[in-house]
Amino acid sequence: MDGKTFYITKKKLQELKKEYEELLDIERKKALGQEAPKILESEDLNPEFVSFQEDIGFLRSRIDEFKNILEHHDLIRIPAKDKQGVVGLGAKVKIDVDGQKDEFVIVGTLEANPALGKISNESPVGKALLGHKVGDEIVVSSPIKITYKIKSIKYEIS
Amino acid sequence: MIKRAVFCSFCLNTMDEIIKFFSNIGKLKGFPRRGWVIRDIKNPESIAEHTFRVAIMAWVLAVQKKYKLNLEKIIKMALIHDICEVYSGDTTPYDSILPKNKKKRQELLKTWPRFSEEEKKILAERKYKKEKDGLEKLIKDLPPKLKQEIMNLWLDYEKGLSPEGKFFRHADRIETFLQASEYWRDHKNFPVKPFWIQARELHDDPVLLEFIEQIDKEFHKNKKPKN
Repeated sequence: MDGKTFYITKKKLQELKKEYEELLDIERKKALGQEAPKILESEDLNPEFVSFQEDIGFLRSRIDEFKNILEHHDLIRIPAKDKQGVVGLGAKVKIDVDGQKDEFVIVGTLEANPALGKISNESPVGKALLGHKVGDEIVVSSPIKITYKIKSIKYEIS
Repeated sequence: MIKRAVFCSFCLNTMDEIIKFFSNIGKLKGFPRRGWVIRDIKNPESIAEHTFRVAIMAWVLAVQKKYKLNLEKIIKMALIHDICEVYSGDTTPYDSILPKNKKKRQELLKTWPRFSEEEKKILAERKYKKEKDGLEKLIKDLPPKLKQEIMNLWLDYEKGLSPEGKFFRHADRIETFLQASEYWRDHKNFPVKPFWIQARELHDDPVLLEFIEQIDKEFHKNKKPKN
Protein backbone atom coordinates (compact mmCIF):
# COMPACT_ATOMS: atom_id res chain seq x y z
CA MET A 1 0.00 0.00 0.00
CA ASP A 2 2.57 2.61 -1.20
CA GLY A 3 4.55 2.75 2.07
CA LYS A 4 1.78 4.57 3.94
CA THR A 5 2.06 4.89 7.72
CA PHE A 6 -1.02 3.79 9.65
CA TYR A 7 -1.71 5.82 12.79
CA ILE A 8 -3.51 3.57 15.24
CA THR A 9 -4.43 3.41 18.91
CA LYS A 10 -2.86 0.82 21.20
CA LYS A 11 -6.23 -0.87 21.59
CA LYS A 12 -6.64 -1.21 17.83
CA LEU A 13 -3.08 -2.50 17.48
CA GLN A 14 -3.74 -5.22 20.06
CA GLU A 15 -6.95 -6.23 18.26
CA LEU A 16 -5.15 -6.40 14.92
CA LYS A 17 -2.26 -8.45 16.33
CA LYS A 18 -4.66 -10.91 17.90
CA GLU A 19 -6.73 -11.31 14.74
CA TYR A 20 -3.55 -11.64 12.68
CA GLU A 21 -2.25 -14.49 14.87
CA GLU A 22 -5.61 -16.25 14.78
CA LEU A 23 -5.83 -16.02 11.01
CA LEU A 24 -2.29 -17.31 10.56
CA ASP A 25 -3.21 -20.23 12.80
CA ILE A 26 -6.30 -20.98 10.72
CA GLU A 27 -4.26 -20.83 7.53
CA ARG A 28 -1.58 -23.18 8.95
CA LYS A 29 -4.19 -25.68 10.10
CA LYS A 30 -5.98 -25.54 6.77
CA ALA A 31 -2.72 -26.19 4.93
CA LEU A 32 -2.25 -29.31 7.10
CA GLY A 33 -5.80 -30.43 6.41
CA GLN A 34 -6.82 -29.96 10.04
CA GLU A 35 -10.06 -28.46 11.21
CA ALA A 36 -9.84 -24.71 11.68
CA PRO A 37 -10.15 -23.52 15.28
CA LYS A 38 -13.46 -22.07 16.28
CA ILE A 39 -12.56 -18.42 16.71
CA LEU A 40 -16.25 -17.79 17.25
CA GLU A 41 -15.73 -18.95 20.81
CA SER A 42 -13.26 -16.16 21.52
CA GLU A 43 -14.99 -13.42 23.48
CA ASP A 44 -12.84 -10.57 22.24
CA LEU A 45 -13.11 -11.25 18.56
CA ASN A 46 -15.72 -10.02 16.21
CA PRO A 47 -17.87 -13.14 15.79
CA GLU A 48 -18.61 -12.33 12.17
CA PHE A 49 -14.98 -12.72 11.40
CA VAL A 50 -15.48 -16.44 11.62
CA SER A 51 -17.01 -16.47 8.16
CA PHE A 52 -13.57 -15.67 6.74
CA GLN A 53 -12.11 -18.93 7.94
CA GLU A 54 -13.89 -20.94 5.26
CA ASP A 55 -12.79 -18.73 2.43
CA ILE A 56 -9.10 -18.98 1.55
CA GLY A 57 -9.10 -15.98 -0.79
CA PHE A 58 -10.52 -13.66 1.82
CA LEU A 59 -8.31 -15.21 4.47
CA ARG A 60 -5.07 -14.59 2.54
CA SER A 61 -5.93 -11.04 1.54
CA ARG A 62 -6.87 -10.21 5.12
CA ILE A 63 -3.57 -11.69 6.41
CA ASP A 64 -1.61 -9.61 3.87
CA GLU A 65 -3.53 -6.51 4.90
CA PHE A 66 -2.76 -7.11 8.61
CA LYS A 67 0.90 -7.75 7.85
CA ASN A 68 1.18 -4.48 5.96
CA ILE A 69 -0.44 -2.52 8.79
CA LEU A 70 1.69 -4.16 11.47
CA GLU A 71 4.84 -3.36 9.50
CA HIS A 72 3.91 0.26 8.82
CA HIS A 73 2.13 1.58 11.88
CA ASP A 74 2.73 4.39 14.33
CA LEU A 75 0.98 4.44 17.72
CA ILE A 76 -1.27 7.35 18.62
CA ARG A 77 -0.10 8.55 22.04
CA ILE A 78 -1.42 11.08 24.53
CA PRO A 79 0.70 14.20 24.04
CA ALA A 80 2.68 15.89 26.83
CA LYS A 81 0.53 18.02 29.19
CA ASP A 82 1.64 21.31 27.67
CA LYS A 83 0.48 20.11 24.25
CA GLN A 84 -2.91 18.77 25.27
CA GLY A 85 -4.59 22.10 24.55
CA VAL A 86 -4.00 21.57 20.85
CA VAL A 87 -5.95 19.26 18.52
CA GLY A 88 -3.84 16.29 17.51
CA LEU A 89 -4.36 12.63 16.71
CA GLY A 90 -6.48 10.98 19.39
CA ALA A 91 -8.09 14.24 20.54
CA LYS A 92 -11.79 14.28 21.39
CA VAL A 93 -12.99 17.65 20.18
CA LYS A 94 -16.32 19.25 21.07
CA ILE A 95 -17.33 21.63 18.35
CA ASP A 96 -20.02 23.98 17.27
CA VAL A 97 -20.77 23.64 13.55
CA ASP A 98 -22.81 26.56 12.27
CA GLY A 99 -24.71 26.60 15.58
CA GLN A 100 -25.07 22.81 15.97
CA LYS A 101 -23.16 20.85 18.60
CA ASP A 102 -21.09 17.80 17.70
CA GLU A 103 -18.13 15.82 18.95
CA PHE A 104 -15.32 14.27 16.91
CA VAL A 105 -12.40 12.04 17.75
CA ILE A 106 -9.50 12.59 15.37
CA VAL A 107 -8.13 9.21 14.32
CA GLY A 108 -5.99 7.67 11.60
CA THR A 109 -7.63 6.55 8.37
CA LEU A 110 -7.80 2.95 9.59
CA GLU A 111 -10.05 3.72 12.56
CA ALA A 112 -12.12 6.46 10.92
CA ASN A 113 -15.85 5.95 11.23
CA PRO A 114 -17.71 9.23 10.76
CA ALA A 115 -21.05 7.60 11.64
CA LEU A 116 -19.59 7.14 15.14
CA GLY A 117 -17.89 10.55 15.20
CA LYS A 118 -14.40 9.21 14.40
CA ILE A 119 -12.99 11.59 11.81
CA SER A 120 -9.91 10.78 9.76
CA ASN A 121 -6.89 13.07 10.14
CA GLU A 122 -6.68 12.93 6.33
CA SER A 123 -10.21 14.25 5.73
CA PRO A 124 -10.51 17.99 4.93
CA VAL A 125 -12.21 18.71 8.29
CA GLY A 126 -9.85 16.46 10.30
CA LYS A 127 -6.86 18.09 8.64
CA ALA A 128 -8.24 21.59 9.22
CA LEU A 129 -8.83 21.00 12.95
CA LEU A 130 -5.31 19.71 13.64
CA GLY A 131 -3.10 22.18 15.50
CA HIS A 132 -5.97 24.40 16.70
CA LYS A 133 -6.95 25.38 20.25
CA VAL A 134 -10.18 25.93 22.20
CA GLY A 135 -11.95 29.04 20.94
CA ASP A 136 -10.47 28.84 17.44
CA GLU A 137 -12.87 29.13 14.53
CA ILE A 138 -11.96 27.13 11.48
CA VAL A 139 -13.66 27.76 8.18
CA VAL A 140 -13.83 24.91 5.70
CA SER A 141 -15.04 26.24 2.40
CA SER A 142 -15.43 25.33 -1.28
CA PRO A 143 -18.07 25.76 -2.31
CA ILE A 144 -20.06 26.25 0.91
CA LYS A 145 -18.58 28.01 3.93
CA ILE A 146 -18.82 25.84 7.07
CA THR A 147 -17.51 27.20 10.40
CA TYR A 148 -16.24 24.86 13.12
CA LYS A 149 -15.73 26.47 16.52
CA ILE A 150 -13.67 24.41 19.01
CA LYS A 151 -15.38 24.24 22.42
CA SER A 152 -13.15 21.71 24.21
CA ILE A 153 -10.28 19.29 23.62
CA LYS A 154 -9.70 16.09 25.59
CA TYR A 155 -7.37 13.13 25.22
CA GLU A 156 -8.69 9.73 26.34
CA ILE A 157 -6.75 7.26 24.20
CA SER A 158 -7.02 3.61 25.09
CA MET B 1 -23.15 -28.60 -23.01
CA ILE B 2 -22.14 -25.33 -21.43
CA LYS B 3 -25.62 -24.84 -20.02
CA ARG B 4 -25.58 -28.31 -18.54
CA ALA B 5 -22.19 -27.70 -16.91
CA VAL B 6 -23.40 -24.49 -15.30
CA PHE B 7 -26.66 -25.95 -14.04
CA CYS B 8 -25.03 -29.15 -12.79
CA SER B 9 -23.17 -27.18 -10.15
CA PHE B 10 -26.53 -26.47 -8.49
CA CYS B 11 -29.24 -29.05 -7.95
CA LEU B 12 -32.74 -28.36 -9.28
CA ASN B 13 -34.09 -27.31 -5.90
CA THR B 14 -31.25 -24.85 -5.65
CA MET B 15 -32.16 -23.39 -9.04
CA ASP B 16 -35.61 -22.62 -7.67
CA GLU B 17 -34.00 -20.75 -4.79
CA ILE B 18 -31.70 -18.89 -7.14
CA ILE B 19 -34.64 -17.79 -9.32
CA LYS B 20 -36.43 -16.63 -6.18
CA PHE B 21 -33.30 -14.68 -5.20
CA PHE B 22 -33.13 -13.03 -8.65
CA SER B 23 -36.81 -12.08 -8.44
CA ASN B 24 -36.30 -10.59 -4.99
CA ILE B 25 -33.31 -8.45 -5.92
CA GLY B 26 -35.22 -7.36 -9.06
CA LYS B 27 -37.61 -5.52 -6.73
CA LEU B 28 -34.84 -2.98 -6.11
CA LYS B 29 -35.47 -1.67 -9.64
CA GLY B 30 -38.71 -0.24 -8.31
CA PHE B 31 -37.58 0.86 -4.83
CA PRO B 32 -36.92 4.62 -4.74
CA ARG B 33 -34.04 5.81 -2.58
CA ARG B 34 -35.45 7.27 0.60
CA GLY B 35 -33.02 10.17 0.72
CA TRP B 36 -34.62 11.60 -2.42
CA VAL B 37 -38.19 10.74 -1.41
CA ILE B 38 -37.92 12.80 1.80
CA ARG B 39 -36.59 15.68 -0.31
CA ASP B 40 -39.69 15.51 -2.53
CA ILE B 41 -37.86 14.55 -5.73
CA LYS B 42 -40.36 13.35 -8.34
CA ASN B 43 -39.54 9.95 -9.91
CA PRO B 44 -36.35 9.60 -7.88
CA GLU B 45 -33.47 7.27 -8.59
CA SER B 46 -34.10 3.67 -7.51
CA ILE B 47 -31.77 1.54 -5.38
CA ALA B 48 -30.91 -0.54 -8.47
CA GLU B 49 -30.07 2.62 -10.44
CA HIS B 50 -27.72 3.74 -7.67
CA THR B 51 -26.13 0.27 -7.70
CA PHE B 52 -25.59 0.41 -11.47
CA ARG B 53 -23.71 3.69 -11.41
CA VAL B 54 -21.74 3.07 -8.21
CA ALA B 55 -20.44 -0.23 -9.64
CA ILE B 56 -19.05 1.58 -12.68
CA MET B 57 -17.79 4.54 -10.63
CA ALA B 58 -16.02 2.31 -8.10
CA TRP B 59 -14.35 0.34 -10.90
CA VAL B 60 -13.21 3.43 -12.82
CA LEU B 61 -12.05 5.34 -9.73
CA ALA B 62 -10.31 2.31 -8.19
CA VAL B 63 -8.09 2.11 -11.27
CA GLN B 64 -6.81 5.64 -10.46
CA LYS B 65 -5.41 4.47 -7.11
CA LYS B 66 -1.62 4.31 -6.68
CA TYR B 67 -1.78 0.83 -5.19
CA LYS B 68 -3.67 -2.03 -6.81
CA LEU B 69 -7.13 -2.92 -5.61
CA ASN B 70 -8.97 -6.13 -6.47
CA LEU B 71 -11.47 -4.89 -9.07
CA GLU B 72 -13.51 -8.08 -9.19
CA LYS B 73 -14.03 -7.83 -5.44
CA ILE B 74 -14.98 -4.14 -5.65
CA ILE B 75 -17.48 -4.66 -8.47
CA LYS B 76 -19.09 -7.65 -6.74
CA MET B 77 -19.21 -5.63 -3.51
CA ALA B 78 -20.92 -2.80 -5.37
CA LEU B 79 -23.50 -5.16 -6.84
CA ILE B 80 -24.48 -6.68 -3.50
CA HIS B 81 -23.98 -3.77 -1.07
CA ASP B 82 -27.63 -2.69 -0.99
CA ILE B 83 -29.47 -5.95 -1.73
CA CYS B 84 -30.31 -6.29 1.98
CA GLU B 85 -32.74 -3.38 1.39
CA VAL B 86 -35.18 -5.77 -0.29
CA TYR B 87 -36.18 -6.60 3.30
CA SER B 88 -34.59 -3.92 5.49
CA GLY B 89 -35.72 -0.97 3.38
CA ASP B 90 -33.62 2.12 2.76
CA THR B 91 -32.72 4.41 5.67
CA THR B 92 -31.33 7.92 6.00
CA PRO B 93 -29.52 9.65 8.90
CA TYR B 94 -32.60 11.89 9.30
CA ASP B 95 -35.15 9.12 9.92
CA SER B 96 -35.20 9.23 13.73
CA ILE B 97 -35.77 13.01 13.85
CA LEU B 98 -37.75 13.70 10.68
CA PRO B 99 -40.78 15.94 11.36
CA LYS B 100 -44.09 15.13 9.67
CA ASN B 101 -44.73 18.80 9.03
CA LYS B 102 -43.44 19.60 5.52
CA LYS B 103 -42.02 23.05 6.33
CA LYS B 104 -40.17 21.76 9.41
CA ARG B 105 -38.90 18.80 7.41
CA GLN B 106 -37.57 21.06 4.65
CA GLU B 107 -35.86 23.20 7.29
CA LEU B 108 -34.20 20.15 8.89
CA LEU B 109 -33.01 18.88 5.51
CA LYS B 110 -31.00 22.07 4.99
CA THR B 111 -28.60 20.92 7.73
CA TRP B 112 -26.54 17.81 8.38
CA PRO B 113 -28.09 16.00 11.40
CA ARG B 114 -25.90 16.01 14.53
CA PHE B 115 -26.21 13.44 17.32
CA SER B 116 -24.54 12.74 20.65
CA GLU B 117 -21.88 10.04 20.89
CA GLU B 118 -24.41 7.66 22.46
CA GLU B 119 -27.08 8.38 19.82
CA LYS B 120 -24.56 7.80 17.03
CA LYS B 121 -23.75 4.37 18.48
CA ILE B 122 -27.41 3.39 18.86
CA LEU B 123 -28.35 4.53 15.35
CA ALA B 124 -25.38 2.76 13.75
CA GLU B 125 -26.08 -0.49 15.61
CA ARG B 126 -29.78 -0.37 14.77
CA LYS B 127 -29.09 0.16 11.06
CA TYR B 128 -26.44 -2.56 10.98
CA LYS B 129 -28.70 -5.12 12.65
CA LYS B 130 -31.68 -4.33 10.45
CA GLU B 131 -29.62 -4.64 7.27
CA LYS B 132 -27.77 -7.78 8.35
CA ASP B 133 -31.06 -9.45 9.24
CA GLY B 134 -32.43 -8.39 5.84
CA LEU B 135 -29.44 -9.84 4.02
CA GLU B 136 -29.56 -13.13 5.95
CA LYS B 137 -33.24 -13.51 5.08
CA LEU B 138 -32.58 -12.74 1.42
CA ILE B 139 -29.70 -15.20 0.93
CA LYS B 140 -30.64 -17.94 3.40
CA ASP B 141 -31.51 -20.57 0.76
CA LEU B 142 -28.65 -19.89 -1.64
CA PRO B 143 -25.87 -22.48 -2.09
CA PRO B 144 -23.49 -22.22 0.91
CA LYS B 145 -20.46 -20.95 -1.02
CA LEU B 146 -22.41 -18.22 -2.77
CA LYS B 147 -24.15 -17.28 0.43
CA GLN B 148 -20.85 -17.00 2.22
CA GLU B 149 -19.23 -14.95 -0.52
CA ILE B 150 -22.12 -12.46 -0.46
CA MET B 151 -22.03 -12.23 3.33
CA ASN B 152 -18.23 -11.77 3.37
CA LEU B 153 -18.40 -9.04 0.75
CA TRP B 154 -21.17 -7.25 2.62
CA LEU B 155 -19.33 -7.44 5.97
CA ASP B 156 -16.16 -6.20 4.28
CA TYR B 157 -18.09 -3.20 2.88
CA GLU B 158 -20.06 -2.53 6.03
CA LYS B 159 -17.03 -2.60 8.33
CA GLY B 160 -14.39 -1.47 5.84
CA LEU B 161 -12.27 -4.54 6.62
CA SER B 162 -10.03 -4.62 3.55
CA PRO B 163 -8.64 -1.82 1.33
CA GLU B 164 -11.40 -2.71 -1.16
CA GLY B 165 -14.10 -2.54 1.53
CA LYS B 166 -12.79 0.80 2.75
CA PHE B 167 -12.54 2.24 -0.74
CA PHE B 168 -15.97 1.08 -1.80
CA ARG B 169 -17.58 2.39 1.38
CA HIS B 170 -16.43 5.85 0.36
CA ALA B 171 -17.21 5.36 -3.34
CA ASP B 172 -20.79 4.51 -2.36
CA ARG B 173 -21.18 7.90 -0.64
CA ILE B 174 -19.54 9.63 -3.59
CA GLU B 175 -22.19 8.29 -5.98
CA THR B 176 -24.89 9.65 -3.68
CA PHE B 177 -22.98 12.94 -3.54
CA LEU B 178 -22.83 13.12 -7.35
CA GLN B 179 -26.57 12.37 -7.57
CA ALA B 180 -27.27 15.12 -5.01
CA SER B 181 -25.19 17.55 -7.06
CA GLU B 182 -27.21 16.62 -10.17
CA TYR B 183 -30.51 17.11 -8.33
CA TRP B 184 -29.23 20.48 -7.08
CA ARG B 185 -28.38 21.49 -10.67
CA ASP B 186 -31.76 20.33 -12.03
CA HIS B 187 -34.16 21.19 -9.19
CA LYS B 188 -34.75 24.60 -7.68
CA ASN B 189 -34.18 24.71 -3.90
CA PHE B 190 -32.61 21.27 -3.59
CA PRO B 191 -30.77 21.38 -0.21
CA VAL B 192 -27.23 20.38 -1.23
CA LYS B 193 -25.34 21.90 1.73
CA PRO B 194 -25.52 18.78 3.98
CA PHE B 195 -23.91 16.73 1.21
CA TRP B 196 -20.96 19.14 1.07
CA ILE B 197 -20.61 19.10 4.87
CA GLN B 198 -20.63 15.32 4.83
CA ALA B 199 -18.11 15.20 1.97
CA ARG B 200 -15.66 17.36 3.94
CA GLU B 201 -15.96 15.33 7.14
CA LEU B 202 -16.23 11.85 5.72
CA HIS B 203 -13.78 11.33 2.89
CA ASP B 204 -10.04 10.84 3.21
CA ASP B 205 -9.17 8.90 0.09
CA PRO B 206 -6.94 11.06 -2.17
CA VAL B 207 -8.57 9.84 -5.41
CA LEU B 208 -12.07 10.50 -4.13
CA LEU B 209 -11.10 13.88 -2.64
CA GLU B 210 -9.77 14.87 -6.05
CA PHE B 211 -13.02 13.69 -7.61
CA ILE B 212 -14.97 15.92 -5.19
CA GLU B 213 -12.84 18.91 -6.25
CA GLN B 214 -13.69 18.15 -9.87
CA ILE B 215 -17.40 18.04 -9.04
CA ASP B 216 -17.02 21.44 -7.37
CA LYS B 217 -15.40 22.88 -10.51
CA GLU B 218 -17.81 21.21 -12.91
CA PHE B 219 -21.08 22.02 -11.15
CA HIS B 220 -20.32 25.52 -9.90
CA LYS B 221 -19.08 27.24 -13.03
CA ASN B 222 -22.16 29.45 -13.26
CA LYS B 223 -24.00 28.98 -10.00
CA LYS B 224 -22.81 28.49 -6.40
CA PRO B 225 -24.84 26.71 -3.71
CA LYS B 226 -26.18 28.90 -0.90
CA ASN B 227 -24.60 28.88 2.56
